[in-house]
Amino acid sequence: MKIYQIVKRLLIMILVWLVLVPSGFCGEPLTEINYRLKWLLNTSAAGDIYADRGGYFVENGLRVVVKSGGPERDPIKELELGRAHFGVASADQVIRALSKGAKVKVIAQLFQINPLQWIYRPDEITVSTPDDLKNKTIGITFGGIDENIMKAILAKSRINESQVHLYSVRYDFTPFYQGRVDLWPIYRNAQGPIIGARMEKAGETVGYFNPDAHGIHSVANSVITSDEILRDQPELVENFLSALLKGWEMAMDPDNAEKTIAMIHDADRDTPLAVIAEQLSLTRGFIQPNPDIPIGRIDVEAWKQTEQMMLDQGMIDIPVHIEKALEVR
Amino acid sequence: MLHRRIYQFFIIYCLGLSGLFAFKYTLGLSDYVIPSPTDVWSTAQEYLFPFSMDVLDTLGVAVVGHMISICLAAVVAVIGGKANWIGSFIKMAAYNIQAYPIVAVAPIIFILFGDGLTSRLLITAMICYFPLLLSFIGIVSQPVPDIEHFYDVTGQTTWWLPLKVRMFENTGKLITVISGSATVAMVGTIIAEFIAADAGIGYRIRIALYQSDLSKILVALFLIGICTSLYLFALEFMGKKIQQRMDVQ
Amino acid sequence: MVTDLKPYSEADNYKMHIDLKGISFRHEKTDTLVFQNTDYRIQGPGFNAIFGPSGVGKTTLARIIAGETRNFNGLVDKMGTTRILYTYNMERLPNWSSLGEHFSAVSGASKKAYLEEIIDIFGLGSVINARFSQLSLGQQNRANLTRYLVQDFDVLIMDESLANVDEATKQRIILKIKQAFPEKIFLYISHNVVEVARFCKDIIVVRRPNRQPQVKTVSGFDFSGKEEPDQQTLEHIMLEIMNAS
Repeated sequence: MKIYQIVKRLLIMILVWLVLVPSGFCGEPLTEINYRLKWLLNTSAAGDIYADRGGYFVENGLRVVVKSGGPERDPIKELELGRAHFGVASADQVIRALSKGAKVKVIAQLFQINPLQWIYRPDEITVSTPDDLKNKTIGITFGGIDENIMKAILAKSRINESQVHLYSVRYDFTPFYQGRVDLWPIYRNAQGPIIGARMEKAGETVGYFNPDAHGIHSVANSVITSDEILRDQPELVENFLSALLKGWEMAMDPDNAEKTIAMIHDADRDTPLAVIAEQLSLTRGFIQPNPDIPIGRIDVEAWKQTEQMMLDQGMIDIPVHIEKALEVR
Repeated sequence: MLHRRIYQFFIIYCLGLSGLFAFKYTLGLSDYVIPSPTDVWSTAQEYLFPFSMDVLDTLGVAVVGHMISICLAAVVAVIGGKANWIGSFIKMAAYNIQAYPIVAVAPIIFILFGDGLTSRLLITAMICYFPLLLSFIGIVSQPVPDIEHFYDVTGQTTWWLPLKVRMFENTGKLITVISGSATVAMVGTIIAEFIAADAGIGYRIRIALYQSDLSKILVALFLIGICTSLYLFALEFMGKKIQQRMDVQ
Repeated sequence: MVTDLKPYSEADNYKMHIDLKGISFRHEKTDTLVFQNTDYRIQGPGFNAIFGPSGVGKTTLARIIAGETRNFNGLVDKMGTTRILYTYNMERLPNWSSLGEHFSAVSGASKKAYLEEIIDIFGLGSVINARFSQLSLGQQNRANLTRYLVQDFDVLIMDESLANVDEATKQRIILKIKQAFPEKIFLYISHNVVEVARFCKDIIVVRRPNRQPQVKTVSGFDFSGKEEPDQQTLEHIMLEIMNAS
């Protein structure tokens, strides 16, 4: 009898949990705002860090928890599951999610230029134009955005894939250091100063191949939210976005460099201050390449180009009409 | 026996899949978070054959890696089982190496062996040899006095004889341990491919993860389950035959 | 005749013997005292027995004599006995080969004729191609003893080595051993009082450590196949053994 009662209670608890938890997943307002980044807390999230530690979220009446991301974190899935209110995702992630029916909206584009570039040794090879890629061993992350970008460059330059050797890259740079791969994909602002410094220390020169300079405008980190939050809580979105963009403006202001570096270093203790300073300097050029471009501007044409690129490469089956998911202010 | 193992796996897989779909439709999640049954079906139609080839590739590496790890564990257990300095050094080294996470050791393996088949095999062997090592050490360091006594007192013991006696006497246990570690070998190979290789189902899963394509992962999991069941069945079948032959003797 | 310590002359010191002097032994695991300052001499060749109730230390004594137990106090002097073998009834032959293959592998070529004779007397000819696990318990005991008898030894300690063998075969085996190895010392551990009284020269009776002396000797009939002992003599010897134990 006693066991029966315990089992009965357990079943009731499970039922209550099953009823309550999904309702929590599906959009009940949470007491705190979760903001899931695409990657770890480093210079690429300078403005996010500044908005948080500079108190701009609090000024706008928000208690925001800035959560670092990583390869195993998907901000779009977290939005849909109700575990995050806002997130940072790249264009390929957003477009892929839209093609699968995800209800996601882009509310700001943080990087106007994609910082993804290919590092190489100018002493050994010359890569001035896409044509120079022929017969080279090029590292790409199969399934990643760099695969799309590189394939788009090759297609645009009418280079057949058989004319290059595509090498599957991992997280460590050993094949590049060993010279087995000629070009290796890196984030110019975050990884460039570290890898470049290491190579220069070894007496090697460093060059970067920038797809953007050759007409491939793919979109990197952008701020996203769910259709539901945008529709039901426009004030929340407005307050969040204005605080966030203010944070980015302050972080990108050279006059605030010292303060910004200190804040980043506080969040990313493993990176030396000098490296952060260099990373920050490079990041400015990607966030605001031109003073006339406001921070956070959504470059609709670049988004469309990214979508077209993915369509051309069969990454998505049908057009998603990305412009419909862009909340251009 | 084989068909029972396969349909048992099929039931488990279907239950898991049904649970996932139930979760999807209960919460009204999009196909991006959890794919629809039709999405999974169309992915299966498209990728079942190429993924089967990848799983077979992985299985091949797992089998070879498993054999390497069996040999490695046997050698380490034989040397480590000896009560001298070299023995304790080897045993300590084996335990220490195992304590390191493979993702931290992997870059060193890539530097030494590149990122081809050798690295895959080595990582697989490293992941699955430890459970084998523990059992092997237990077996080879445990005397069988009722048999070994005669050889000891008559001075006819060689270095090999006690090992032969102990392994022969524990054949059943050895077969169980080897069959049990087959699953670990398969998982080890997939991990190796995930972090290192440019072939195999682990590599396909990595790409699918980059693309947030759960359908591909579900198809891959199905094939991995089938192949692992087949491998386990083959090992158990061989073990049973060996055991039967020994029982007859 | 029962003696506390078998008497021996100065001349005996130069003959084959095993001398135990001040032997003390305590089981490490159970901390049980087994022997306390025990002296004993096994003199000359012959088929002797170690007799006593279960747990009294017969096997321990055998292993001390054989040199397989070393953590004891005291001295074991083995005059003229360079090779002492100890065998027990639970021993097994490896199952990867047949009896015949195993016997050939563990005995020298010079023992071949003798091996065949023992196989015949021990009644193992019909199972020579079988594996050890296929034998009956009695056959297993005999097979194990066979391989020991084709080794070089001065002393062979047989710890219940014929425990599962029928009486007729047992008699045949013991008589053969006595006939074939007149220059060797045998120590036969058995719980069968009739058997030890009938076949053994000296019966070494081991007693509990609280009884002094801990080892006593009873002379047995030492039947060698010629003159059968009468019932009264045997009963007398058996009574002496029981009184001593």
